[in-house]
Amino acid sequence: MSSGVKAIYYDGLVSRPREARVEVREPDALQVDVLDADGREEDRFYWPLEDKGLQWERSAGALRLSFGAHPRRVVIVREELFIRAFVQRMQYTGRRGVYDRLVSTAGRGPILFFLGVIALLVAGYLWVIPWGAERLALLMPRDMDRELGEMVYTSMADELKVDSARTAALQAFGDALRLSDHYELKYHVVDDPQVNAFALPGGHIVVFTGILEKMDRPEQLAGLLAHEATHVEARHSMRALVRGMGSYLFLSLLLGDVSAVVGTVAQHADNIRNLGYSRALETEADAVGQQRMHANGVDPQGMVWLLELLEEEAGDLPEAVSFLSSHPLTKERIEKAEERAQKMGAPAQVDTALAAPFRVLKGKEE
Amino acid sequence: MDHLTPPRPVLSFHGNGRDLFVVVIVNWLLTLVTFGLYYPWAKARKLQYLYQHTELAGHPFHFHGTGREMFIGFIKAVVLFGIIIAGAFALGYHTIPQLGQLVVFVAGLILFPLIVHGTLRYRLARSSWRGIHFGYRGERSALYTLCLREGLAVLLTLGFYLPWFIIAVRNYTIGHMRYGDSRFAYKGNGGDLFLLNLKGQLLTIFTLGIYWFWWRRDRFHYWVDHFSWSVPNGPTLRFRGTARGEGFFKLLVGNVLLVVFTLGIGIPWAQVRYMRFNFRHIEMVGEADLDAIAQTEAEHKDATADDLGDLMDIGIFL
Repeated sequence: MSSGVKAIYYDGLVSRPREARVEVREPDALQVDVLDADGREEDRFYWPLEDKGLQWERSAGALRLSFGAHPRRVVIVREELFIRAFVQRMQYTGRRGVYDRLVSTAGRGPILFFLGVIALLVAGYLWVIPWGAERLALLMPRDMDRELGEMVYTSMADELKVDSARTAALQAFGDALRLSDHYELKYHVVDDPQVNAFALPGGHIVVFTGILEKMDRPEQLAGLLAHEATHVEARHSMRALVRGMGSYLFLSLLLGDVSAVVGTVAQHADNIRNLGYSRALETEADAVGQQRMHANGVDPQGMVWLLELLEEEAGDLPEAVSFLSSHPLTKERIEKAEERAQKMGAPAQVDTALAAPFRVLKGKEE
Repeated sequence: MDHLTPPRPVLSFHGNGRDLFVVVIVNWLLTLVTFGLYYPWAKARKLQYLYQHTELAGHPFHFHGTGREMFIGFIKAVVLFGIIIAGAFALGYHTIPQLGQLVVFVAGLILFPLIVHGTLRYRLARSSWRGIHFGYRGERSALYTLCLREGLAVLLTLGFYLPWFIIAVRNYTIGHMRYGDSRFAYKGNGGDLFLLNLKGQLLTIFTLGIYWFWWRRDRFHYWVDHFSWSVPNGPTLRFRGTARGEGFFKLLVGNVLLVVFTLGIGIPWAQVRYMRFNFRHIEMVGEADLDAIAQTEAEHKDATADDLGDLMDIGIFL
């Protein structure tokens, strides 16, 4: 009669389960005694514990051992003490895998573990993904900005009513200022009553006649161009794009299988967060733009005048809307711009090359 | 002999929601941090859990598939899937968008028998009970011929023929499943299934949806009652479904509430309830020597079709 623990044995040849006894024979073998119907030992084999042909796994409260090549012999042990001793012995040599560790951690408090994972994911979404995306965007070649901007500009050029005479004057105005170190800025004046302007990545800057008409000082225009040029120079579009794609990928990976409702909520959450990011970019464009102005001999106060002009225009927007708008609350922007202008002071040398093209732009001179 | 042995449930599921939740949540975490690459391992872990906690006549099943095998299949499936999508885009982009959709549809039709065949072959070869492996001996070309012929009939009859199609696929695939040297059979009839569905649909409408659960019971019974298992030199074992409509009502409504009120956290518990209910209501009729079934199947480790089925969202019942 064998002294080992009770086990069930499948010989891999027929489906008959047999009773067996299993024990570890020191130094390094497993002894399996297969019993006959009357509980007498019928067959015995040894298997080296370090042998690759021995596989073991814990499952459903049992230890499953299998031996050799297909069709494998199988032994199933349910004796808890034996299982523990065996597992400890086998793990003494090998390290415990990440999976087993995670399962045992999660097993102690599944819901708590789940909430912890959720917290980690939220942190990843709020900080890690944007940080990584920012890094990635800055690694991309600047030519990519140019190509992207060129593509977008070509696709919309047909719908823009370009005023070529004033475009030439704006180009002269912009060229008199040094607004970008890496990009060749191309200015366009478009006949449109909107009080607005925008910059495409890589250097196209479009100014609507609506905003030009509101201006009465060249410093305002310099402020506008410096602001837009900062968007180009600091690659704001590319950064926003990569950030947006990063968080979109993250969310869709996360919620891939979850219902459309959750997806929509997530998308809105993402949009609102992106608005916050664009507010940060606008503030950056104001601040860096003012430094550029000062360096070019233009009074940084021009940015304040520009913003005041915009504030008048947006005056009828209720507070709640402007909270969600991509431009930071104009009042706040004006205060900050004013502060910076005070700190910098007026430039020692004033650039006079701006007056002539500005007069052309205002239509006062041909 | 048959009527002398009382029929009894032979399948049982011993897993619990908490343990399954742990498996699922760890899988989810690892899949996320590896940007989806862990998926095959996650799938293998889950299948292993489910198989090992399912018992037939007191002995557990075992799933032998590994993450590595399934990963190789996963990569092949992703590439193949990518080629199809890229092809559809290339065509759709340069000509008409509808053509792109057509490509995906036709690819799906062509792939369906391939996926069914491959999945059955892989899944069954990697499953065992009492150390004896299951297997699938169906031929790909035969399944293609069958799907093409029956599928064409479905198209020509605008879908009316679908029950016949389903039964033909079931009869063929289950008829070619093996467990060692024992074999399975399914002897369904498209007309019966058609009438069953017609009755179910009409009564569901008349009872404002309440009958749906009884229809569900009928379909479950239709599945189980036409399934049989023949052991060599023994009688053919038959099966009988014993579920009731009220039972399905309690199970499914309960599961929906369980999932909705826990915002999805309850899914593993719902799945456990579902499996327990289904297995508990399958009875085996007849007695046979389950000890004398001999090992016959060779090893087979190609999991491509299994993974492709996942990508294309085709659910196969194993």
